[in-house]
Order: sequence, then structure tokens, then C-alpha cells
Amino acid sequence: MVSESARERPPTLSVAITGSGGSGAVTAGLILLEAVGQAGFYGLMTRSAGPQIRGGESAAMVRFSPRPVESMGDRFDLLVGLDWRSVGRFASEIPLDSRSEILADPAAGEVPDVLLAAGAAVRRAPFKSIAGVVPEGRVSMAALGALGAVLGLPLDALEAGARRVLAPRQASVVESAVGCIRHAYTVQPEAGRASLQPPSAPRDLWNISGNEAAGLGALRAGVRFVAAYPITPATEMLEWLAPRLEQLGGCLLQAEDELASINMVIGASFGGVPALTATSGPGLALMVEGLGLAVASETPVVVVDVMRVGPSTGIPTKSEQSDLNIALYGIHGDAPHLVLAPLSVGDCVFTTQWAAGLAEHLQATAIVLSDQSLGQSRAVTTPPAEPTLALSRRRRQAPDTAFVRYALTADGISPMAVPGEAGGIYAADGLEHNEAGVPSSLAADHQRQLAKRRRKLEGFDYGADWAEMRGDGPLCIITWGSSAGAVLEAAERMMAAGRSVRVIALRLLAPLNVEALAAALARTETLWVVEVNEGAQLFHYLHAHQAIPAGARSLARAGPLPLRPGEVLSALAGAS
Amino acid sequence: MSDFEEELIASLPEFLAHALELEVESRERYRDMAACMELHHNPEAAELFNEMARYSELHVREVLLRAEGVELPAMAPWGFKWTCGESPEVRQAEAAHYLMSRRQALELALCHETRARDFYLGVAMRSESAEVRALAQEMAGEEQVHVDLLTRWIAGADHGVPQEDLDPPNVVA
Amino acid sequence: MSVPALKSTDYKSPVTPIWCPGCGHFAVLSAVTKALAYLGLPREQVALVSGIGCSSRLPAYVESYGFHGVHGRALAVAAGLKAAREDLTVLVAGGDGDGFSIGGNHLLHACRRNMDLTYIVMDNEVYGMTKGQASPTTAPEWRRSKLTPHGPGVRRFQPAAIALAAGASFIARGFSGDPSLLSRLLVQAIRHRGFSFLHVLSPCLTFRPDEKEWKQKVHPFADSPTSNAVEAARLIQADDGMSLGLIYAEDLPVWQPASECSASLADFEAEFRL
Repeated sequence: MVSESARERPPTLSVAITGSGGSGAVTAGLILLEAVGQAGFYGLMTRSAGPQIRGGESAAMVRFSPRPVESMGDRFDLLVGLDWRSVGRFASEIPLDSRSEILADPAAGEVPDVLLAAGAAVRRAPFKSIAGVVPEGRVSMAALGALGAVLGLPLDALEAGARRVLAPRQASVVESAVGCIRHAYTVQPEAGRASLQPPSAPRDLWNISGNEAAGLGALRAGVRFVAAYPITPATEMLEWLAPRLEQLGGCLLQAEDELASINMVIGASFGGVPALTATSGPGLALMVEGLGLAVASETPVVVVDVMRVGPSTGIPTKSEQSDLNIALYGIHGDAPHLVLAPLSVGDCVFTTQWAAGLAEHLQATAIVLSDQSLGQSRAVTTPPAEPTLALSRRRRQAPDTAFVRYALTADGISPMAVPGEAGGIYAADGLEHNEAGVPSSLAADHQRQLAKRRRKLEGFDYGADWAEMRGDGPLCIITWGSSAGAVLEAAERMMAAGRSVRVIALRLLAPLNVEALAAALARTETLWVVEVNEGAQLFHYLHAHQAIPAGARSLARAGPLPLRPGEVLSALAGAS
Repeated sequence: MSDFEEELIASLPEFLAHALELEVESRERYRDMAACMELHHNPEAAELFNEMARYSELHVREVLLRAEGVELPAMAPWGFKWTCGESPEVRQAEAAHYLMSRRQALELALCHETRARDFYLGVAMRSESAEVRALAQEMAGEEQVHVDLLTRWIAGADHGVPQEDLDPPNVVA
Repeated sequence: MSVPALKSTDYKSPVTPIWCPGCGHFAVLSAVTKALAYLGLPREQVALVSGIGCSSRLPAYVESYGFHGVHGRALAVAAGLKAAREDLTVLVAGGDGDGFSIGGNHLLHACRRNMDLTYIVMDNEVYGMTKGQASPTTAPEWRRSKLTPHGPGVRRFQPAAIALAAGASFIARGFSGDPSLLSRLLVQAIRHRGFSFLHVLSPCLTFRPDEKEWKQKVHPFADSPTSNAVEAARLIQADDGMSLGLIYAEDLPVWQPASECSASLADFEAEFRL
């Protein structure tokens, strides 16, 4: 077969490269992703690893297509094994079937039964001996060359990919890798069953990871101060930001813990500099106290939570969407704030930028729920769009009267002063306060300030970006964040098969646009809510707001396995 | 307690600077005490401290008048040569209580005024400048008036035994 | 246009402190206003950051920008503020609970970073705001709290020793009963480039009436200030905790980001382009 069957969307190819002990599976995957991009395809790469710090088993998964790829597929067309040690760990993550091919080196031993069980064909290629021909040749590069030929990728694209990915390495490493790839490519028999015709027209494409994308979104919004504590899987975002913040005249402060991080962010923001931090679930749990302070003092802050499997320490290297509850409800007291979730790797730029702009404009706290599947995946995708709303901190106008920091305004947003500004002196406070910011225990003051802080968020017109809506029909699927990719692909397949379906992928979760949602569900007869967490957190949240009908169905299951389109299709088919 | 030098006040400008500081401090401390008493709902004590603040304000103006045309030296807050003992700034902390009676407030004020008088007297006796001695003597005299006034008021005041505080302290935050 | 010099009263806000009459913190407030006036710092260029507790109420009473944050986190807020706004004079205020208990970790790292901040800890060896529990500096045998009826039974936290070991570059101790010294130490602390740790003994008459005796117990620091950390350690360890004055001051590297713009967003976006 040339590609996945007609039951699935038009052509995509999914390739997995596995290996262990420093065999270079991940580097090969990175080069492959870059190469498909150079060839003009869209792509998505995820990876998986064993628990060892070094030398553990690892796998790189790449899916590519002439059309945008926002989800891993249901199956893999090709599995390349650099070696077979402990590959059993990945068996459930790399579904194979009788149409799949396994590319293997006989010198690496027999292909494990667990991989053969589904009936995949085995194609042999002598990576090791091919690599031996090139000075300092590596098995992984030989495999990559062979793989590229099998996939029908242009050799130039492979070489360009290798040079770009290996650029930080020594020249000899780059040259031997390129040499290996070329040699393996040329000795490989003709393109195999799994290959795609490269697009003819060149495209303007980016190769970016979700964590990098969130970092870029922050910088685009004007964030120039970050304080953070390293945590898996958010650390790469911080590492990407640190040197670049400095180059833009800002800085990243590595804090002693997350308690310090969020308070430092508050301090910098109070000082007038847009500020942000990034963490994961355990860190967000520590920051919740600080978020309350930000809400009460109306200090703009952004926290990006790159979610991982919870609760507690959970599975740090795997993805789940189970921090919705703490994001929505974690702050003690009545503390309205913003919760957003990017819908794809590329959307991490837009959503983070939007969140930071909203935080500044509304003097609010914004939590951005990314996750490991977005953060640590790389995508070859279209350059990200920018938010169209003009968002900025409302500043105090030229003074005639005494400055009242928390003045009750119609839209709830009070002009703000920044230290250094003469005549704008005030003391920000976590204590409840009156309009002047003086601590107050009076009921009327509490009511007014609560109403103001709620009004400024709920009364704001967020525009159309609160959700991505596609399609129409009596069947509707609501989802959020990283689940959007698999749901949208499932919907596409349904529509290709003649069934009309609407997808609402929520990007803005709080405040919830109940009216707009109701309008979108006006003609819905069957409603599904799809999410990757065991507690059906979005489902219950929507019910709590009476935003979905009583008969709505829930597809909610925990991580760590990624959501696949076929899974969504099965659930919907099985239930009806 | 502060390591100031035991030097004498030698010039009129220096003396005026001290007098101004003393009276301004006095006024501010009484105003603080009055505000504190008001906040703690002790109007009697508040009223007394406000009155003392007014007297101090009058003294401030007097000093400013005498200082017209005189260039006063810039003094660091720790640079004042208060004669031995504490500077007039030191509050008699133990003496204050939010339930203090008028009598106790008077006694606290008396303490302050006595100290101020003693400062002026000390300068009047020891300064090497005749001009300074004369002025200091004058101001000591004015403080003495206050001291006498307060002493009389105390004599006439009830031996107010401080009420026992039936309410426990509040938690404010 | 020349701005007339501000008087210390100009640095006082109109808000009346909620402190009990006789509270030691009044003297600290007074000293802060005098120090700021002496230094001639424009009010809008000063920011006072605090946590939770009686002493943390200070920012509301000073006519400058203020941030009254949550318990124990003032040093973190101040670090973020100073990192982002090097131009401001940032003072941090709090008590012994805020600074040495819940805030302990932040204290260690603030000393390490040695950012140009002035940290004033008003130590009354009790948790006043929550009605009189023991604090880390309360003596082990103090039995007057229901939470620790047998006394805390734990040795006292040693603020100066810990600040020194953690890397503070300026350590001094003051007493609310000696306002003149307090102003002087404050000015020195603010002027010092680096993390200035000013430990102020500030009695709480409501919950620690026994602290009236501090007046008799405090004494000037016997030695001259040293700029040698080893010597400072010796002096501090030998000290009875009631010495007043500047103990240690040294010029140590200050952490302060100071980056110039050397690239643009377009440069970073280009990195992703295929």
C-alpha cells in the first residue's frame, strides 16, 4: 500500500525509530523531521524514553503529510529498529499492523515477537555494515539514509536536515553523518510500500517545539522577565527563553523554588515589566497561593503549566490533561482568572501571546495549560498567527486628582501606576481593600472589589479566538487543548465518510463563554466531550455551568498514552 | 546608647537646629499618639495628646521665627547632641496603653516635657555661647511652664486605676 | 526646576498604624522616614515590600510605592521587582515569623544572591498578629503560648549567623529604643550596595511584656565593624544577640541582570524557519 487506507485521511506516513544505549534514535528522528520539512511536508514528532538518564531505550515518532499534521495517527507505517533492547516498553505506543513494515538490521538480532505479533512485514537492511564503510559512521545515520530512500524523500532534504540538526557538533561528526546517510540512501533498493510524493511547491514552514513556541509567544507579547524553577517537562521552555530574554534586555532569574518564582514574577510585574513563569502540575500546586495574591492585588501574571501525568509526582515524562481542576479551582477564595489551553504545537505561540496580552490588559492572572505532548513535541507547521486584539496595560492618565488605584470603573479595569511614576504612589495588597488600596474589612468594599474583578474578565469581549470551531451537524464534539488534534482528525474522517460533525476545541476555558457555546450547540443532537484525564474534568466543568445538555457523553481517560483519532471514532461508533 | 560625641552646642544656628528638631519630633510624637488613641477609641487620651501637639506646634513656629534669616546646619538624624540620656525621640513605650487614663497620658506627656526642659537647661548651663545660653534658658522656661501645667493637671486628675481589659486581643490578619 | 528637599514627615502616609500604643515598630517607621529624607530619595523611586504580620504593615504607613504580599514571600517579590527595575530603591520589611520561619528559604537565597536590597526584620520573638505564638527566635523555655505550652523546646534561630553564612554582605542590629542608631544603620544599609540585613529588636508589649527589659540588656557592639567574614562569624557566634551596631559589611558581587538589547524577535523567529 502506498499510504494509509481511504478510511483514513489523505496520505500521511508515520515512522518510528527505536534504539537504546545512545544509539541516536532521537537525533535520527529530529533529522527526519527536519528533512520532511525541507521536502515541503508538514510533520509532527514525539518521543519516548526509558527512565535511565543515559543509555536508556528511546523512540522517536514522526508523522508527516502534505497537509497539516496535528495528531499522531492510529498506527505506524514503518518501524526502524536500531537495536531491539527493551523495545517492549514502546510496543503499546507504536501500534503496528499487517500493513506495516519493520526495517531491521539482521546484525541486531531477531525482531522481537511483540512487534511481529500484528503481522508486519520485515525488510532487512544492513545498517551496521553500511555504517562501517564511512569513517566514524553511525548505525543511526545509516538507518536514516535507508529510511529516507524507503520513504521516497529527496536526498538533498535529508542532507539539509542532518546539517541543520547537527550544526552544533564538530564538523567531522556532521560530515560522517552526511556521508553515512548518502551511502545508505544510494545502496537502498527502490522506495518501498510506504512513501509519499513530495509537494511540488515550496512552503513557508517552521520547525518548532511546543515549549519553544510558548516561549516565543511570551516574547511576542512583551514578556521580558521570567523567574522559574526547573521542572519536567517545562524546563526546555525556560532554557530557550533564558539567553533570548537577555538579548532583548530582559532576564530570567532561576529561583529557589516555585514559591519564589511566582512571587518574583509578581514583583517584576508590579514594577511594570510583563512577567511570566513556566512549570508543571507539582509547581503549579505551589504557586496557587501566589496566584491568589496576583488576583487580589490585580497584578498581571502568566503561568504556563506544561501538564504531565498526575497526581503528585505522577509520570513526569508523559502527558495528561489533568490539571484543569487545579487551574480552574485551585486558588482559595473567589478569585476569577483566565485559563487558556493551546490546541497544537504551533498554537502554543498564539495562545501564550494572547494570554500574556490579556493578563496585561485585564490586570489578571492567566494560566496556560500546555502539556508534555505539545511541549516536548516538534512540529513542522505554518508560521503562527498573532492575536488581532490590541492588548496593553491601562496606565494612569495625567493627574488632576489623587490617584485611586482600584477605582471602580465601568469595565472593571482600573488605570495602573508603576513605581517611578510621580503621583501614582499606592500600596498593592493581598488584603481586601477599598478603591484607594487601603486594607478594608467592610462588606461593601469586599463586594465592590469582588464584583469589579469578576466584571473585568466576564465583561470583556474576547473575540472569536475562544475556540476553534470546524464543521457543522447534529453530532458535536467538544474538546480542549492538545486533544484537539486527534478530535479534529477523527471528525475529518467522519466527514470524509459522509457524516456531518462539528468540533468545538476550547482555547479559552475561563471565563467560559456560555452564551457563545450555547449558540454553537443550538442544533446539536448528540454531544461528546473528549479529554485526556480520568476525572472528566472538562465534562464536569461544563455541566457545572449548565453549558451542556444532560444527555452529553464523556470520553475521558487518563494518560500516559496519546489520544489517537481512531480511539475517538471507536468511542463514538461504539456508543451509538 | 547612640555613640554620639559629648560635645557642646556652640553656635546659635546649631542650637536652633536642635530646638527645631526637638519641637518637631515632639509634635510628631504627640500627633502619632493622638491618632493612635483615636484609632483605639480612647478620646480622653487622644484629646490630651492633640493639645500637647498644638503646644509643640506653637513652639515649632516660635523656633522657625527665631530662625528666620539664620542658615541652619543640615543635621543627620543621628548627629544631634542630645545631652546625656536618650534623645527626645525615644518613646516611653512601656507607659502607653490603649486603655490609658487621662492621668497616665498626662504622666507620659510630663515625662516628655521634662526631658525637653532638661535638654534646654543643660544647654543653658554648659554652652560656651552667651547667646545660646540665653535662648536656651528662655526655652527651658517655656518648657517649665508646660511641666508645671502638667503637674497641676496630674494633681487634679483622678487616680485613674487602669481599667482591666475584658476583651482579648484581636486577630487582625 | 529644583525640588525642595523633603522632610521626614513627607514620607509618612496619612494612614494611622494599627499597632498597639508602645509598639516598637513605631520607631522603625520613624527611622525609615528619616533615613529616606536624609538620603533625599524621591518618594516614587522607593518601593517597600512586605509579607504578613504586624511589622509587614509598614508599607501602608510610608508614602512610597508598596507591596503587601503573602506570608514569607516578601524577599521573592522584592527580588523580582529589583531585577526588573534596577532604578528603584527597594526596601523589604517583615517580622521574625515572616522572615525566619515560612520565609526562611527565601532568606537564604536572598543573602546568596546579594541583590541590592535592604531587609529590615523587626524581631519581637513572637507571632503578634496571630495572638502570641512562639517564633523561631523565641527562647526554648517560653511557655506563654497555648500552642507550645511546654515552651518551644527548640534552640533559637540565629538570624545574624545565618545571614552571614548564607552570604549577606551587610549585617547590623538595631533596637527600637535607640532611634538615632536605627536611622544611622538604615542609611548605611540603604547605601550599601548589596543585600543589607538589618535585624531590629522591636518589642511587642502586648504579647511579650517581658521585653521591656531589653532596654537594660542591649549594649553597643563591642568591636568595630569588620569586612572579614571569618572574623564576623567569630564575633557573631560569641555575641549575646543584644549587641547593637554595624557588625559586618563587605563589598561582595551583587547579582543584578543588566542586559542590553542585542537581538530582535525577528532573529529568534528566523531560527525556526526551514
